[in-house]
Amino acid sequence: MSDRLRGIAIVGGGTAGWMAAAILARRLGQHFGPIQLIESPEIGTIGVGEATIPPIRLFNEALGVDECDFLRQTQGTIKLGIEFRNWARIGHCYFHPFGVHGTGLDQVALHQEWLRLHQLGEPGSFEDFSLNSLAARRGRVLDFGAEPHALRAVYSYAFHFDASLYAQYLRGYAQARGVRRIERKVLRVELRAEDGFIRALHLDDGTQIEADLFIDCSGFRGLLIEQALNTGYEDWTHWLPCDRAVAVACDSAAALTPYTRSTAHRAGWQWRIPLQHRIGNGYVYCSRFISDDEAAATLLANLDGKAQAEPRLLRFTTGRRKKFWNRNCIALGLAGGFLEPLESTSIHLIQSGLAQLAAIFPDRSFDPSDAAEYNRVTIEEFDRVRDFIILHYKATTREDAPLWQYCRNMDIPEELGYRSNLFRSSGRVAVHDRELFVESNWLSIFIGQGIWPQRYDPLADLLPLDSINSHLTQMRNLIRQTAEAMPSHAGFIDAHCRAGSGRLG
Amino acid sequence: MLRDRISSIAILGGGAAGWLAAATLARLLKPDFCAIRLIDCTPAAAEPISVTALPSFHRLNKLLGIGEQELMQRSGATFRLGVRFIDWSLTGADYFHSFGPLGSRFDALPFHHYWLRLQQSGLGGQLADYSIATVACRQGRFARPLADRQSVLSLYSYGYHFHAAALAACLRQYAQAHGVVGIERGVSEVRLHGEDGFVDEIRLDDGSSVRADLYIDCTGASGTAPASLPGQQVWRNPRIDWSHWLPCDRAIALPCAAGGEPPPYSQASAQSAGWRWQVPLQQCIDSGYAYASGFVSDDQATATLLSALPARALAEPRHLCLSPGRPTRFWERNWLTLSGSTLEPLESTGLHLVQTGITRLLALFPVRRFSPNDIEEYNRLTIMEHERIRDFLILHYKATTRDDSALWRYCAQMSIPDTLRAKIELFRSCGRVPLLEEEHFGEESWLSVLFGQELRPTDYDPLADVAGIDVVTAAFAQLRGAICNAVATLPMHARVLEQQCRTPVEGTL
Repeated sequence: MSDRLRGIAIVGGGTAGWMAAAILARRLGQHFGPIQLIESPEIGTIGVGEATIPPIRLFNEALGVDECDFLRQTQGTIKLGIEFRNWARIGHCYFHPFGVHGTGLDQVALHQEWLRLHQLGEPGSFEDFSLNSLAARRGRVLDFGAEPHALRAVYSYAFHFDASLYAQYLRGYAQARGVRRIERKVLRVELRAEDGFIRALHLDDGTQIEADLFIDCSGFRGLLIEQALNTGYEDWTHWLPCDRAVAVACDSAAALTPYTRSTAHRAGWQWRIPLQHRIGNGYVYCSRFISDDEAAATLLANLDGKAQAEPRLLRFTTGRRKKFWNRNCIALGLAGGFLEPLESTSIHLIQSGLAQLAAIFPDRSFDPSDAAEYNRVTIEEFDRVRDFIILHYKATTREDAPLWQYCRNMDIPEELGYRSNLFRSSGRVAVHDRELFVESNWLSIFIGQGIWPQRYDPLADLLPLDSINSHLTQMRNLIRQTAEAMPSHAGFIDAHCRAGSGRLG
Repeated sequence: MLRDRISSIAILGGGAAGWLAAATLARLLKPDFCAIRLIDCTPAAAEPISVTALPSFHRLNKLLGIGEQELMQRSGATFRLGVRFIDWSLTGADYFHSFGPLGSRFDALPFHHYWLRLQQSGLGGQLADYSIATVACRQGRFARPLADRQSVLSLYSYGYHFHAAALAACLRQYAQAHGVVGIERGVSEVRLHGEDGFVDEIRLDDGSSVRADLYIDCTGASGTAPASLPGQQVWRNPRIDWSHWLPCDRAIALPCAAGGEPPPYSQASAQSAGWRWQVPLQQCIDSGYAYASGFVSDDQATATLLSALPARALAEPRHLCLSPGRPTRFWERNWLTLSGSTLEPLESTGLHLVQTGITRLLALFPVRRFSPNDIEEYNRLTIMEHERIRDFLILHYKATTRDDSALWRYCAQMSIPDTLRAKIELFRSCGRVPLLEEEHFGEESWLSVLFGQELRPTDYDPLADVAGIDVVTAAFAQLRGAICNAVATLPMHARVLEQQCRTPVEGTL
């Protein structure tokens, strides 16, 4: 192939930039010219994406990273899901677990059997059928070396980690594989006169960086994708009104929990992400309904331990670029768009963009059909994640504050309305191919937020009540016993990946 | 217990499609839960001679629990590794769309990118040599794939060619044993309920009537459905016509004497006004001609078929209707249309679509109030599924350079759906195939046909250059050798049939 790329430049050295550099170095070697990453030492990185979802393990695997080593280097912990407090109503609590709920009998889905019993007054919780939920509630995680058991296939996990340590970790990885790091500021982006493609980046030391492909990881401002290429931005504030966050780390206090917590407040929600050495916290809020000072005060009043610094303020506009791939530029991370970290999808969306880039890797001709396909797939994914997040806001019964009153009554995207109607009528989940959040995720939120279907699947009546009863009882018992046999989260960390411990420690 | 449960279903239309639907529903819905009746109103002369199953049929058959050997014996079936396409992109062209991947997993990218890279240096040989199913087809060999993923003999799957009437009889017996009541009567009228326009009852030609909560129409385009079948006017649910993309609207078929060894594939040969099929069965060869009535008269088509029979005709030709298109809504009120069998039979999707239609119905099983949300979801998925298959079929017609007849000149020039155009463009640029939602035919099928129809990408995936050329060359030679050696160990298809699946002489045929 003669038209091969002769160089790739990445602008921005946060999580997105170093993830891109690491995986490209791993996949491409030196075949497509030098991979250079330009980061300005003056621009701080934003670490909102400290919690992840299970596909992160595929990314680690693609890099060939050892999980324990990675956890040790990033103060990482295990995450089994997210606890949502005060979302459906004040005082309410539910869990969105990773993995899937147990399996049903014959052709009937488990949740339909459960709905049938529920209608008969059986009070059990749907969460009792998720191994992840039960383990998380007990502060336990599955041991790496554990014997395979009957429920292996329903369990899943991800990580919490320190995002700046993660970026450092990936930086070491990428530099060891030939990525050149340039600590400079980009002063000017030079476009080719003939077609508006990016030709070169002019740096503050008077040098210029040329490349065939540019990856914009410069954050919200979108130095290349927006400031240079004017791609345009879709604003979703009318569906996701939060536009600021205030973040602070605090000392750990109680036992190490293997899950993220999201607590709804009057004007937004607060995250709690337990790491080995501290707890990450933040309050995502809507500035129309609360002042920055009040938000910071709310955050500081709701910490487990002592705050370790002054709270940091972040501003954002929820939405995405009209195209993630424009000409010879691909935008990743915040340069591409922003979705609040309610379902910990930020790092995943970066990863997914990179996977799609590998699947549609360009050459210098930059065939427009490649970019069109990249945008079709990535936009579809981004928009569906958006819908999933909107559901949390929409499906609330809270009326205690203007934010929640607004959300209860707002219009929602058509596809989300369709999904909600289907679930409301028969407890069924409309599924799409290649969707990040699958049936069990949607069920967790629908049921967790207290949406009740008008009826259950009529085929659930095919099974005698006794067999459903005994099936569900057995399933629940098996899940509980399995969860109780797991080691504690802290014990797990000590055994495998305590930060600062030796390789075999 | 739900009070407004569906407690009765009436299926219209016998044949393999109707009885397959009946058997599956009967297996999953117990007779005391839901009574199922089938009105067998399709005359035998309107039924095709053979029906073909894709590999997806195994899932269904496992559910039904009929042993493969018994099923094949009773339905005069042969194994099917794929389809051979002759004269499609140009006269003299010949390729297989067989069930299984091209090549094997190699490094990070789909196999064909490395093959395209080798081609630029004149290396790599024929792409088809890397498909074990295609190599086996060419040699007339067959064995069931191995479960061991390390072996190249695990890299394929298979379907069946069934004698349609025999399969229908077999499924009918199964369905009746599971409580389905068969009624052999013509339909005289479908009556709608005055208030809500739901189907109220089906009047039969002996004056009796059948009432059910849910009606399933499996009559297809056989032309037997009376004019009073609901749909068109009352419900404003017209058929969406695809004949400008899939021009074959009629077919004639007749059984020929079986001679020689049956191949483990069927054959589709392009003709000046359509295409001819040959489907090997144990006792005969189904030979037919699907044609575009706008381009050839019925008499001419018959003459063409008769002049090219593989062997002595065993019966008079049957005339069949094809109806390329779909209803606007597959499910309307209490009426479900399983009309997959009316699509162009080129890729044998008829039985498959009945199967997925039933599976989807069970996943969205209604109550007597018929929630519009369930119906909408059924239609959303089914429409996407049909349109994906439609695109796949159109590709065979569109990607041609034949200019020997009006039909092919038309096809080469016709505009095509945007979804298909985007696929072809992406393939042409870099050999990639974007898959959309509800796509039955996966990347391997699309690649078989895209390459088979002589479309070539201008380039391959740049990442294919990452692997060293020596490594690629060696891996390819190794794989080709392994396929060649492995296929040589397989028995002949005819021998496998002889030993395992032969229909007894006194059998059902």
